Amino acid sequence: MQHDLLLFLPELAVLLGALLVFVLSTGGCGARATRYAALAGALLALAAALFSLRYGPTGEPFWPGIYRVDLFSQLLKAGLALGLVLTLLLTGELATVRPGGRIDLPFFLLLATVGMMLLASATELLTLYVALELSAYSLYAAVALHREEAPGDESGVRYVLMGAAASAVTLYGLSLVFGAVGSTYLADVTAALAGGRPLILVVGLLLLLAALFFKLAVFPFHFWAPDVYQGAPHQVVAFVATASKLGAVGVLARVCAMLAASPSGLIEIFLVLAVVSMTLGNLAALAQTDLKRLLAYSAIAHAGYLLVGYGAFSALGLAAVLFYGVVYLATALLGFVVVCALGRDGSNPGLDALAGLHQRSPALALMLLTAMFGLAGIPPAGGFVGKWFLFAAALQRGQFELVLIAAANTTLALYYYLRVVKAAYLAPAEGRGPVLLSGGERVAGSLALVLVLAAGIYPAPLFALAQRAAQLLLAR
Amino acid sequence: MNDEEAMVMDRVPLLSAIVLSPLLALLVVVALPGRCARAIKIVSTLSGLLTVALALLLWVRFDPTGPRYQFVERVAWIPSFGVSYHLGVDGIGVLMTLLNAIVFFTGCLSMSTLQERVKEYFAFMLMLVIGVFGVFASLDLFFFFFFYEVALLPMYPLIAIWGSTRKEYAAMKLTLFLLAGSALLFPALLSLYWTAGGTTWSLPELAAFAFPERYQLVLYPFIYVGFGVLAGMFPFHGWSPTGHVAAPTAVSMLHAGVLMKLGAFGILRVGIELLPLGARYWAGPFAVLATVNIVYGALVALQQRDFKFVIGFSSVSHMGIVLLGLNLLTPDGLNGAVLQMFAHGVMTALFFSAVGFIYDQAHCRDIDAFGGLARQVPIASAFFIVAGLCGMGVPGFASFWAELLVFIGAVQRFPALGVLAIVALIVSALFMLRVFRQAFFGPANPRWAALREITPWLATPRVLLVAVLLVFGFFPGLALDLIRGSTAVLVGSR
Repeated sequence: MQHDLLLFLPELAVLLGALLVFVLSTGGCGARATRYAALAGALLALAAALFSLRYGPTGEPFWPGIYRVDLFSQLLKAGLALGLVLTLLLTGELATVRPGGRIDLPFFLLLATVGMMLLASATELLTLYVALELSAYSLYAAVALHREEAPGDESGVRYVLMGAAASAVTLYGLSLVFGAVGSTYLADVTAALAGGRPLILVVGLLLLLAALFFKLAVFPFHFWAPDVYQGAPHQVVAFVATASKLGAVGVLARVCAMLAASPSGLIEIFLVLAVVSMTLGNLAALAQTDLKRLLAYSAIAHAGYLLVGYGAFSALGLAAVLFYGVVYLATALLGFVVVCALGRDGSNPGLDALAGLHQRSPALALMLLTAMFGLAGIPPAGGFVGKWFLFAAALQRGQFELVLIAAANTTLALYYYLRVVKAAYLAPAEGRGPVLLSGGERVAGSLALVLVLAAGIYPAPLFALAQRAAQLLLAR
Repeated sequence: MNDEEAMVMDRVPLLSAIVLSPLLALLVVVALPGRCARAIKIVSTLSGLLTVALALLLWVRFDPTGPRYQFVERVAWIPSFGVSYHLGVDGIGVLMTLLNAIVFFTGCLSMSTLQERVKEYFAFMLMLVIGVFGVFASLDLFFFFFFYEVALLPMYPLIAIWGSTRKEYAAMKLTLFLLAGSALLFPALLSLYWTAGGTTWSLPELAAFAFPERYQLVLYPFIYVGFGVLAGMFPFHGWSPTGHVAAPTAVSMLHAGVLMKLGAFGILRVGIELLPLGARYWAGPFAVLATVNIVYGALVALQQRDFKFVIGFSSVSHMGIVLLGLNLLTPDGLNGAVLQMFAHGVMTALFFSAVGFIYDQAHCRDIDAFGGLARQVPIASAFFIVAGLCGMGVPGFASFWAELLVFIGAVQRFPALGVLAIVALIVSALFMLRVFRQAFFGPANPRWAALREITPWLATPRVLLVAVLLVFGFFPGLALDLIRGSTAVLVGSR
């Protein structure tokens, strides 16, 4: 039992943090207290996850076959905890959150993280579904905390509706899987797949994939992204764009690992979705003037790049996806530090709000530059190595044309990333005052900046972890 | 030097020192507050001087009769993916490293009058220089491409912020062209890795692998065109003149002087070396395109009225000579191409710094608006005229030997192309003489009576460049002995 609790420590830390926040918020404490309580829980979870990554206790706490703690799950939990910490650091000023909701925001973020941590370890269909819903519902609530009623509510409603549809599809898919296999354990599903592929099972898994594609904002399940990015509070979007995305990356990796033994037919689907997602995301991003919408379309394009890695259905592909997921988390977060710092008045910063940023706050301009380089895949930012791994996985399967299209897409994308850089470094400030970073923003930004550069210059440690995690997934 | 000293010297990782000294300077520049403009310039210039010294040391200590790659350093970097930090140079690498160091140092000197956003300028420029040094020294395909990309992107802010004449358009066009080239390289380089077994990115090890012939034929154009875009290959040269014109002086110098050579170097190191059969198969068509470069560049240069456009298009023409030399695939051709890379690098650096000096004062680059400059500012004019003579291929300058070698080789292998190229060179010589007559001689234009002569401090970098051109013009053997062994391996290999 003690050992079980130790394995469960990261989840437990976040859960305790959430409880503490709940107690504090009902006890009349201010938003400040809840924020610190949440941060403490998140930091503890990060420390626990990193510790278990380093010393690697593995096992199946409580009930065998349902919940599995290993290098793969702990890598994801460390990433999730990191995303949570970084997001919470940005919640110092919640201008875009309605006053009554400010105290609750950390609670929802923590709960969502717990959900995704459970998701990372779940090896049984019902556990998986419950974890998925826990994270989803917390985020629906968080998205709806927006201050301005009309647009915020609309994006909240849209997210809920589309999410509910995705969730229904998932449930239907899971029921089909259960019908085909007669068991809810993933191990049994994998075994069933190895013994041939009954149509009903494949359909069920495809429906499950659809739900994950929704979370990743892959075409044609991407419609929520631009509106939610634009309409939801900055900090919530930061979380949805980073930690929540990593959670989805992890589960999709698990599902793809199950399918890796006989991926014929699926490869083509992944390829088509990858190409359409990246092309559509990049083309739409070209026309954006709102920084958050631009980041949303860029996220759709990145979901396409990730599918290039998944579509390889290989150890390298999964490792590349995990590596890229973590790097993307840090890179996208850098972008949202800028959004939070510039959107302090509650507005959504447009490209024109970036004017003269290099004078108004050189540090913030540097963060933005690094974020854009990272998203564009220019070294020394980590995005370059990440894409190198992803595309290498595709070429291992000989998909030369796919990589050519993906590489052409990165060139296309460069145009709008450079527009952002141009706005920050070229346009004159024209009377816009200096931007002062809060302590939290400074810490979060610096941490993410160092991570992005470190992953780009010396990727070996993180990549080795990702590779071992991928091998674990495939071995099962 | 006694043996003990030699042992100590061998343990100093010379190439890493060359790549990392601008990195050190970059860190210092980033740490310094922006108002310390003077300190930033001094740090950058000193790191330039240091790289020149180290590059000279590299040259002196390089043994042309020794193993092909020297000063090799190798550290496993991403062991599970076969990537290692693997540096080493052959004769070509030594010459190119020297070129970059010279242009970097003289570029810093000629930007010593910069006032605007000094810190950011030198930070981006140092990043570019690190990338270029890295490419010339990398023996690992991953790091080769890593440094290649590091070198490309700083061009965007450097041109867009400190440039002139439609700078934003030029910067965007240049960046998108160059990264479109990278998009061709991305799948091609990864494919090389997997085809050779997927265990190593080391260039020497990949070169030892015999790629299937059909594969080489298909892949070579990707590599050639991907790198060729940066070398200004026709018809993908459109970014180059507009970029040159818009860029500030030192960026033009680095860009035309060194960056374009990265493209040619990539073709040599990756294309010709790894895919010799592909190179042979495609030599004809690409030689034709290279000749179009030479002729087209010269003809368009004839039409220009702007100093920098003249240089920009003559660069297209001169890079055509490099590309033609590469496609000859003979020892003469490659030697000529490499020597031309060096000579053209120094020459364009001189060209742009000479024009930059005049433009900084006159804020005008219209050739017809000038007259009799040689009488008003004889020394500043002399620099331009020397560069022009060098560009025409006048004996006594380094490019004479380069062009001679390429043309002799070309006439032997592709007689029609060789003759065309020579005619084009004569045409461009005629035009250069017309520019001299119009702008530097003839009646003085009173509008420019206020132009002041170049100060000794600002003249120093230009004098250095002239000296380099002359030294290699009179003693081409200095460079040829260095590269002969390396090019012979390339042509002889399989």
